[in-house]
Amino acid sequence: MMKLLRHKLFGPTVLAVLLFFAPLIISTYSVMILSEILIMGLMAISFNLLLGYTGLLSFGQGAFFGLGAYCAALMLQAGYQNLFLILLVGMLASLLASLVVGFFSVRLDEIFFAMITLGFGMLFFSIAHNWLDVTGGSDGLPVFVLPSLSLLGNEITFYEPTRMYYLVFGIVLLGLVLLWLIVHSPFGLILKAMRENKQRVSFVGGNVRLLRIVAFAISGAFTGLAGVLFCLFNSMATPEFMHWSFSAKPVIMSIIGGTGVFLGPLFGAGIFFVLEQIIIQYTENWMLFLGIVLVPIVLFFPQGVFGTLRNKIFKQGVK
Amino acid sequence: MTDVLRIENLGHSYGKFKVIEDISLSISKGEMSALIGPNGAGKTTFYNAISGHFPPTRGKVFLNGENITGFAAHRVVDKGMCRSFQITNIFAALTVLENVISPLIIQQRKHFKIYGNVFKDKQIIERAMLVLEQIGIADRADQVVANLAYGDKRLVEMAIVLARDPSVVLLDEPTAGMNPEETENMIKLIKKLANNSGTTFFITEHDMKVVFSLAEKIYVLHQGHLLAQGSPGEIRSNEHVKEAYLGRKVHA
Repeated sequence: MMKLLRHKLFGPTVLAVLLFFAPLIISTYSVMILSEILIMGLMAISFNLLLGYTGLLSFGQGAFFGLGAYCAALMLQAGYQNLFLILLVGMLASLLASLVVGFFSVRLDEIFFAMITLGFGMLFFSIAHNWLDVTGGSDGLPVFVLPSLSLLGNEITFYEPTRMYYLVFGIVLLGLVLLWLIVHSPFGLILKAMRENKQRVSFVGGNVRLLRIVAFAISGAFTGLAGVLFCLFNSMATPEFMHWSFSAKPVIMSIIGGTGVFLGPLFGAGIFFVLEQIIIQYTENWMLFLGIVLVPIVLFFPQGVFGTLRNKIFKQGVK
Repeated sequence: MTDVLRIENLGHSYGKFKVIEDISLSISKGEMSALIGPNGAGKTTFYNAISGHFPPTRGKVFLNGENITGFAAHRVVDKGMCRSFQITNIFAALTVLENVISPLIIQQRKHFKIYGNVFKDKQIIERAMLVLEQIGIADRADQVVANLAYGDKRLVEMAIVLARDPSVVLLDEPTAGMNPEETENMIKLIKKLANNSGTTFFITEHDMKVVFSLAEKIYVLHQGHLLAQGSPGEIRSNEHVKEAYLGRKVHA
């Protein structure tokens, strides 16, 4: 029994089953919150490919999230209805943008890397905010028609929140499986090696700059995927996605959940939204209380809530 | 041409200050060489300039006959020269096995492979375990390196360097910070490795006991210049060396 519990896929499988059946039990409103948690969880885990695995703190992930969202909105407004084409184009656009941003950013470290990615993020925000003809400016781009899916001769639409949830669930699950495979691949081990000691990596023959660009591009592509999903979920792409305060969300979620565990940032996203839901019932100043909650988490859960609890229960080292 | 490493008129400056100047030497295959010199003589600068840490200001570096002057670190390694550092340079949060697997992944050009489980890659795991057995830390393969004793960490770095199967290994003070027993073991290990593999070792050392028990050829660096070179016997009896460096230590 303990052996089964300790198997590294046991927890994620249970979680996936729970998430699959959740809409049967919880309210429609909660289903929408859960959709948002999954989308932001995908963004946070993509972000954590950089922070937790590669050791790079990006403060500009909102740019790629927003890019994915704007791609989806523009395509839908132009009449493109193929769901997979929209997902693919959103991801590709974010991949290309993150290749360019990565090319200029990865030679820097720590605070300098954080600042240059923040700078690029603000640049993207300004474009989205000011290029009225294309992006709709501060109003954003609304989406009126959602793409549908043909399955076994049936046309499935996603206007109903539970259906939207299953679309989000399916795509996020696929994204997380791919990211899981990547962090456990040879490339994934080299990322961890760079996090530990990038000088050593270059002195055993690794081109650190190129490796980092690839990591940054993969992270950007999956962040873009999350952005596409959020645009469909939200029926809207707004410049706010590209604002630096939005880029801070995956940072906070990863720190809350734990950067040393693959699913940590997803739990962080969950805690973030559940806290928000509880606190806004009592006060509008929810950020104040988020701050109050964040301080003890950073102090007493050095590996994040999820990471620290998991290590306490299973006595596993962070890897 | 049997020189694995040849250095011609190498020099490096920080601004106007010449740290090393006009160093020429050639090392033949399998010849155990050591570079010695007092603190500040320029040993580490010399190492950094030939290993790709930074390009040298002047001069040329040839590895197996190929000009590798100014190559970036990872290209120098690809050409067959790998180094250790004075301060242990390893992947602290990874296991011993993962530390050795990482260079092997890069060697086999699998570092951009984003799928597949490296721990099921028989070729890599077998080679990694072989290296760990050579070094004598195979029994600690699953331990996280940060939890190891200092001497074992130095051994892990040795394993990382040897995993790439280099033709030239540069060891920057391999026994720095070690207790006498660990030092003794490290000397034995280096001797064993030098005899059993086709690898040529080039070490810098502070500890004269280590140098004289290992090296077949010694180069003495003094104030950035090559003061003398020769067998341990020749170096011992060289008047310049005694005056500049050994003298103070021998009679201390």
